[in-house]
Amino acid sequence: MNAEQKRAWLGVVTMSACVLGYFVLLPLFGPVVATAAFAFYGINGFAGLIGRHEAVDERDTHIARRATLAGAMASYMAFVIGCMGTWFVVFAFQRQEQVWVHVLGTITMLGAIVFFFTRSVAILVLYGRHVEASDA
Amino acid sequence: MPEITNNIRRLRFDHNEMTQEELAQQAGCTRQTIIALEAGKYTPSLALAFRIARSFNCRVEDVFTFSEDTSTE
Repeated sequence: MNAEQKRAWLGVVTMSACVLGYFVLLPLFGPVVATAAFAFYGINGFAGLIGRHEAVDERDTHIARRATLAGAMASYMAFVIGCMGTWFVVFAFQRQEQVWVHVLGTITMLGAIVFFFTRSVAILVLYGRHVEASDA
Repeated sequence: MPEITNNIRRLRFDHNEMTQEELAQQAGCTRQTIIALEAGKYTPSLALAFRIARSFNCRVEDVFTFSEDTSTE
């Protein structure tokens, strides 16, 4: 397992902890306090310490680039669907035309979590699959 | 679908049982990439293909084989 895979595993664990923590805190303290679970997100910052001196080559770069693209696509979809979906739910069930301000922060964090989670999973999957270099 | 196969494993053993680490150092890539190449899980760039061939003192065609499946279903 190389440094990129170790960083990906850290990403999967921390992002899972964020989501799990949010849904544990949600029924106990409500949607505002539950966002405190996103503090787990900060642990992902230690990823920069993993394999700082380990060499990377074209395959690592290519896999990281594809995984980042997958993460960005998933994140964009989660953010847009989260924004519009929340508004739809609030309007459809509560007949309100305004969305609570804390929802935007939650959806932004959701987008970031989806980005890192998808990117990490994509890295772990791509290292086990056949990959072609971009100019091959 | 075109497929690129390689003889890296055989060539390593023909070259005084060169280790994957030694080949990786000579070709300028990681050992994990050599493992992926030998397992057929990675198709390298032209630059890496040439560097690997140069490590074995042979032509790219001696290391990599391009086969195109032209069968239609």
